[in-house]
Amino acid sequence: MGLLQNVIFGLVTGSYIAVAAIGFTLVYGIVNMINFAYGEYLTVGAFVGLLTAGTLPVPLPVAVLVAMVGGGVASLVLARLFFTPINHTGPVPMLLTSIGLGIALRNLIRLVAGRNARYFDTETATFRLTGVPDVSVGPFDLLGDFFVTSEHLVVVGCAVGVFLALHGLLTRTDVGIAMRAMGDDEDLARVRGVDTQRIRDSVWVLAGVLAGLAGVLVAIQTNVSAGTGYSHILQILAAAILGGAGSPYGAIAGSYIIGLVLSLSTAFLPGGMAELSSAMAFLILVVVLLVKPSGLAAREVREA
Amino acid sequence: MSVADRLPLGDAAGNGALLLGAVCVLLAAVFALTPLVVSLPGSLYVFFEVAILFAVYGVLVLGLDLQYGHTGLVNFGHVAFFAVGAYAVAMLSARDSFAGVSLGLPWPVALAGGVVVAALLGAAVGATSVRLRDDFLAVATLATAEIVHSLFVSFEGVFGGNVGIGSVPQPVSDLAGDADTAMLATLLLFGGVTLFTLAAVTRLTEAPYGRVLRAIRADELVTRSVGKSVLTYKMQSFVYGAALAGLAGGLFALYTGAVAPGYFTIQVTVTVWIGMLLGGAANHRGVLAGLAVIMGLRLLSRFALGVMPLSADAFASVRLVVVGLILVAVIRYRPAGLWGDAEELGVDT
Repeated sequence: MGLLQNVIFGLVTGSYIAVAAIGFTLVYGIVNMINFAYGEYLTVGAFVGLLTAGTLPVPLPVAVLVAMVGGGVASLVLARLFFTPINHTGPVPMLLTSIGLGIALRNLIRLVAGRNARYFDTETATFRLTGVPDVSVGPFDLLGDFFVTSEHLVVVGCAVGVFLALHGLLTRTDVGIAMRAMGDDEDLARVRGVDTQRIRDSVWVLAGVLAGLAGVLVAIQTNVSAGTGYSHILQILAAAILGGAGSPYGAIAGSYIIGLVLSLSTAFLPGGMAELSSAMAFLILVVVLLVKPSGLAAREVREA
Repeated sequence: MSVADRLPLGDAAGNGALLLGAVCVLLAAVFALTPLVVSLPGSLYVFFEVAILFAVYGVLVLGLDLQYGHTGLVNFGHVAFFAVGAYAVAMLSARDSFAGVSLGLPWPVALAGGVVVAALLGAAVGATSVRLRDDFLAVATLATAEIVHSLFVSFEGVFGGNVGIGSVPQPVSDLAGDADTAMLATLLLFGGVTLFTLAAVTRLTEAPYGRVLRAIRADELVTRSVGKSVLTYKMQSFVYGAALAGLAGGLFALYTGAVAPGYFTIQVTVTVWIGMLLGGAANHRGVLAGLAVIMGLRLLSRFALGVMPLSADAFASVRLVVVGLILVAVIRYRPAGLWGDAEELGVDT
């Protein structure tokens, strides 16, 4: 398999990480917490989508919308129950709360949905391009034949749609502008008449909607089980920090870098070391925190 | 566990713990070295198993409490140092393990090696990460733990992959007459080690040194302004915690006789953290008591499993839901824990 094919896999992985990482990083920037339960929001969204598609006679896009609404509602309810009441306590108690909530949610989902992996029953069209010349460098092939499935296109298309919609939201709407203002300086935003609690709620909803979509995209591309969200949270976290925590545009860039690193390291590591490809993402995370903790978008996270 | 649980919070210098620890170790020696044998009722086995694990985790939680409770370092990858200590001891001391490296050194050498390796990892992680802001330090340490875990799984030739490393010597079992006696001797010995650790960290934190650590936790800027090298103290505290975790890992390996990645999941970190927060960070006896409560819950759930109409699998999920919610509830309603000092920790109750 050529390098090009792995780049395509990387872009697909990067796309659904990006959709999730935007929500994660917005919550970080505005609520000022690392939400470790965020991976479970993906799982919740994916299962809401699966349930809708499985029980109601609706087309897939409707099920996706239901999943997004479900994710948004779940995120708001959980925030109101668990995070808003301790908003004043600072980042560490909030992080620890989200870790506890994540464990509880993950096992609740496992209890209700069982251990089996599920996936969307979709019809896949595969577009193959053959006859691409090989450009070999050592053992690696830089071009080579490749294929794209309709699922790949859906995932990448959704992600691009999200990026455009998000850009519109953040630059053209009052809510989006207020979000950016709060991300920069909450006190100043409040002085200027921004209803900070309402903006916080909207960020939670937005993050939940994005998580729901990302969960469905993961389910379409691969499958979901109770552990899906947890297995993605460190990648999402790595992408968000790599991009500069709190910066949505940085998170998009960070996600594609993580996606590419994951797929390329899977391809080029020896067989028995597949587990190491996930370690690569964490290694990037640690290296970024050490070398340039402010990330691509230059947000400071060091204190001394 | 039985003795460390008695809470009344006097006796600051830890002499009581030292004395009690010595008694435990002596008793352990009596059972292990003499032909004396005991037989335990079968129904008590589960208590002994959990109690031995409690003693091991007790050393872990005391190290973590030094890092978080006293210095305010949010180390959410504590299991990494535990695992590295255990693997180092296993690889150094194992004889002809089925998989992975086994060097067959005497176990005391291996145990010392395990502590040193864990401390070195602590120094490496500390040197690079203690500067980070609290929540990012948590993320960096957590990621470190995940990397360590996947290294153990991936390099089969060195670490034995998912099988891990077996044939680790079990010195207490080898010395004692039979399995029951070995179990009792192990419990007494490990309990003694935990008590010694308790005495040591109490001495350390009662000394002016500990006051500097708590000052760093309370206000770093002020501490720096009175001329203390905050970074040096943070590093030392982090390395001490890591070394204690390495010791706990070594004890664990020498008790089970085998190590595998399955023993060293994030669940260990979570258990120790919840125990510490529940008991009250910065209070050594408090964190041990908190850990006892959480591990008591584990014991309780083993018995509850028998009477509940649930599969073992579903029951494990229920238990974890409860554990997660306990963590959430403690932070929200008793941020200083059951026996912690709210004013010292700077939290509202």
